[in-house]
Parts: sequence; C-alpha cells; structure tokens
Amino acid sequence: MNDAGKTWSDSDGGEVGFVEEHDFICTEPFTCEEGGHLSEFTLRYETYGHLNADRSNVILIEHALTGDHHVAGVHSMNDRKTGWWNHILGPGKPIDTREYFVICSNCLGGCQGSTGPSSINPETGKPYGLDFPMITIGDMVHAQKRLLDHLGVESLFAVIGGSMGGMQALQWAIAYPEIPKRILAMATTARQNSQAIAFNEVGRSAVMQDPGWEQGNYPQGAGPKVGLAVARMMAHITYLSDRGLEAKFGRARRETMKAGPDARDHFDVEFEVESYLRYQGKSFVNRFDANTYLYFTKALDRFDLYGESGNLAETFKNVKARTLVVGFNSDWLFPPDQNQDIVYALLEARKDASYVECSMDLGHDSFLLHSQELYELVRSFLKAPH
Amino acid sequence: MSQAHQKRQVDFQVIAEWVDPGSTVLDLGCGRGVLLEFLKTTKDVFGVGVDVSQSKATSCVKRGIPIFQGDVDAVLNRFSVNAFDRVIFSRTVEELQKPQRTLSRALEVGRSVTVGFINHGFWVNRFNLALFGKRTVNEVYPKAWQESRPRNPFSLSEFEGFCREEGIAVRRRRCLSGNWTDDQKLLPNLLAGYVIYDLEKES
Repeated sequence: MNDAGKTWSDSDGGEVGFVEEHDFICTEPFTCEEGGHLSEFTLRYETYGHLNADRSNVILIEHALTGDHHVAGVHSMNDRKTGWWNHILGPGKPIDTREYFVICSNCLGGCQGSTGPSSINPETGKPYGLDFPMITIGDMVHAQKRLLDHLGVESLFAVIGGSMGGMQALQWAIAYPEIPKRILAMATTARQNSQAIAFNEVGRSAVMQDPGWEQGNYPQGAGPKVGLAVARMMAHITYLSDRGLEAKFGRARRETMKAGPDARDHFDVEFEVESYLRYQGKSFVNRFDANTYLYFTKALDRFDLYGESGNLAETFKNVKARTLVVGFNSDWLFPPDQNQDIVYALLEARKDASYVECSMDLGHDSFLLHSQELYELVRSFLKAPH
Repeated sequence: MSQAHQKRQVDFQVIAEWVDPGSTVLDLGCGRGVLLEFLKTTKDVFGVGVDVSQSKATSCVKRGIPIFQGDVDAVLNRFSVNAFDRVIFSRTVEELQKPQRTLSRALEVGRSVTVGFINHGFWVNRFNLALFGKRTVNEVYPKAWQESRPRNPFSLSEFEGFCREEGIAVRRRRCLSGNWTDDQKLLPNLLAGYVIYDLEKES
C-alpha cells in the first residue's frame, strides 16, 4: 500500500472527520487453524456511520497486507494524512456513511494495535516474537467474527476488501455463508501463483537475513530495519506497474547528484524512482513490525481456496452472498485471470457472481486510487436490487 | 415507448417464450442486462450476461444481474459442455469476429441456442443499397458507417444455409415483418425485418 499522498480531501463527498480507535479484548481462548493457541487477544478497530435499528446496514472492510483499521478520517488535528481509503468512504461517497455502519479492524497477527508477534505474551511478560502462533486468512476472519458477536452484529450488508482484504472477504462468504449478503473483492486471488510466493520469499529473506532480526527476538524499537525496508522496496514495485512507474518518474534525476571521478559518489540516490523507493522503505519500518510481515506474507502464500480437491467451485458450494470481483488490467501481482477464475468457479457453482475489469494503469494498488469508474461500480453494487 | 426502444426489446417476448422457467441462461453480448432482467422477472432464470464493455457491465451490476465482463469467445471457452440450458445471442452474431467458431462453441456450452438477428435480406435494406448505393440508416442503425462498430450483416437465407452446412438443427423459427411486431410467414428472406431461431446441435 502506498504511503505517499492522501493529504487532500475528496470533493465528491463529505469527510468522516475525527474518528476514534477502539479495542475489543477477547478473553475467550482462540485456536488457530494451524494448531496454535491464544489465551486472549485484542482487535483494534474503527467504526464509521451509525448502526440502524434492525442492524442490517453493517459493512465490514478488510485491509490489505500492510494496511490497518484506520480507513478514513483523522485521529487529531495534527494528523497530516487521512485513513487509507478516505476517498471511497464517507458521507455521500461510494461507501456512504450516511447509510452504512462501517467497521474495520486490524487483522489478528497485526502490529497496529491488534494482538500480533510484537504484543506482550501474557505468559512470559515479553513480546511473543516467533512464539506467536501461525496465523491464516481464516484466523483473521474468525477473530473478526468474535468482534461482530461482541458488537451484536449478526448480518453483514457487505464485506469489502482488496488484495489480502479480498481474500478475507471471500473467506467470510465460505466460512460464514449466512452472515455476509454481499462480497466485493478487488485485485485478489483464490490462491497465489508461484511468482507472488517468490516475491514474498525474497521479502522474508531480506528480513530474516538482517542480523537485527535475531530469530525474531529483537527488542521493541529495534529489529531488522534494513531488511524490512528492502523487503518493502521490492514489494512496492510489485504493487505498481511498468507504465505507472514510467508515468510517475520516467528517468527523472535528482539535481543534487554531482558525480565526480570517484566511484563512491555514484551510488547515492540518483533517479527519482530510487528516492521514492527509499522513502517507501524508510517510512514503512517506522510503522510496521518485521515479524508481522513474515506472518502475513506466509498467510498469503498458504491461502488456497482450491483446497485438497483442487476444485474451486466445490469450495464455493455453500456461498450465499452475491459476489462482485473487480480485476485491474495492469495488476501483474494478482492479475485479471486470477480474479476471473474466482467468478468462473462461483458461476459454475450457480452463485450470483460478477466480474468487472477496471482499466487503470497503476498496477495492483489501483484499487486504492481515485477512479470514477470504480466509485460507480461500488455504488452500483451496494445499491442494486437483491 | 419510442420505436427504437420498442425495437430494442422486440425479441424479448419470443426469446422468453422459448426459455424454460427456472433454467440457466447465458446471454452473450448482453449490453446493459435488460433482457436478463426481463427473464429473471418473468422466468426466474439463473442468468449470466457477458459483455466486453465496462460501462455496460457496471449497468448490469446496478440492475443486480450477474455479469462477466470480457470477450465472448474467451468466456465461452471457459465454460464446460452443457454448462447452460440456453445460450442467447440477441443481435450479437453480426458483431462476432469468427461467427462460425463462436456459434459452434455456443452449441456445446448451451443445450439450446437462441439467435436473433436483423435480416439484411429484408427488402428495405436491399432497396437502399440497390437504389441509393447506401446502407440503411434508421432508428436501429442510427449512426453512419464511420461511427458504427464493425459488423457483418447477413440474411435469413444465408443463416439457414449455414445451419444446413454445419448440421445445426433449427427447432423453431419466428420471422417478424418490417415493423418487428407481426409475424411474417410469406417470403421471409425478402419481407422479414427480424428473425429469431431456436437451435440445437444435430444429435
């Protein structure tokens, strides 16, 4: 997800304004799909809009790998940036907070307030590190179900997410078919291909080979900062596209680069794209935990809706939600055909499903950007007669 | 209702007549999903539309009609044999890149196939070309050639010749006169403006 920008306001609708974070502390033990246990956990979340009388207007938003629960608005006057999907969520916006009560929580295993590897293990009084149990996309969804139970929400008008958020949205429809009425999954996949796993492995290698990683036992505030920054720089390229990068940076150079005869002068930032990636890497390590990065990328790699039978339609047989999958033509991380495969399988299972493709130049992260076509699509999907 | 609007929906009644209640339908070149909406309401079908245009796909989403945005051939190739009870081409065939290949695949994916098309053997179309050396511009084809999508006009008799050669069984046929409303039984290749076929693969 892009760290740059999002400092402007959206002229198409109002702002949600100031928002507060909440913590849901679940004291009921949680068993993870891979077999691990948590005696308790916390999910940090935000809500927008108002719950209606019959509790039928709840939309759950799912964040992507490096996203968080802060979807829209600001926490204080000092906040320079709004939440990551501020332009699509708010009064009068495609996800209209005058109509819907919107919830987004930081995923289980995360590092933005929910329990994850950097949290204190109540049994030892120290950060979990790698003692934190392995987490799956399914675990993220089951933890969110506990949050909904706590909030008294029994039905979801829609579950919406892109990338890893799209995986969670699909998982909701499979794991709890009676709860979500609509699924809107963007730039996602039913299982990653080899290339996506390969990129994740490079990222994990960069983290784990940084001496600062210390087998996951780094103290708070320290850690594999170089490795995590490199992982981020590399991953960030996969979220963009050739055309997108070319349009944004081309071969533009920094003016400060004065190369003399000494080769040592030649490896500082020269091209604008280098500067951009270094900034992305640096800002990322300040807000993200390296171990969460390992856990989440592993959860992505293992996510496989084809299951043991290899039959995706079989996985979808109990789905009840109406589903819309949106692919982006320039997305080469989770390319259009992987998004299409989800809908083919849903249709084969005779489910109410649609595939629409947005033509945008900016690669995988296109779903996070301004696009009137995407706004219209989201609005249409939410308003359509059921 | 304007004449153009009426003509846009002229084949709905006939198409719906041949659709079994509760059956599964694939509408190729579904546009904004109006036909599927009609079939969903009147016949309770499980219907899926295919259209290449994003704005049309969005209109289908808005109607609550399942839509697969993409190329007709690419989508057809992804469905298995007999995946649908019926595949519908409503004014789509004349815009296909390779009609023979697409129709033959559609006859595999659908147990039955409906094809509705404008008969370019209709006398007015012949007259315009013969007398003025121009193709017909009317409420159905409102745009001049340079603003129109590529099309491959054909006549009733050409289509039936094709069906004979391919061994495609014509189960039913409805020929509508120039007003696209009344039945046209006499000399249909000359006097029918619009024709609709119910096809099956010859068993």
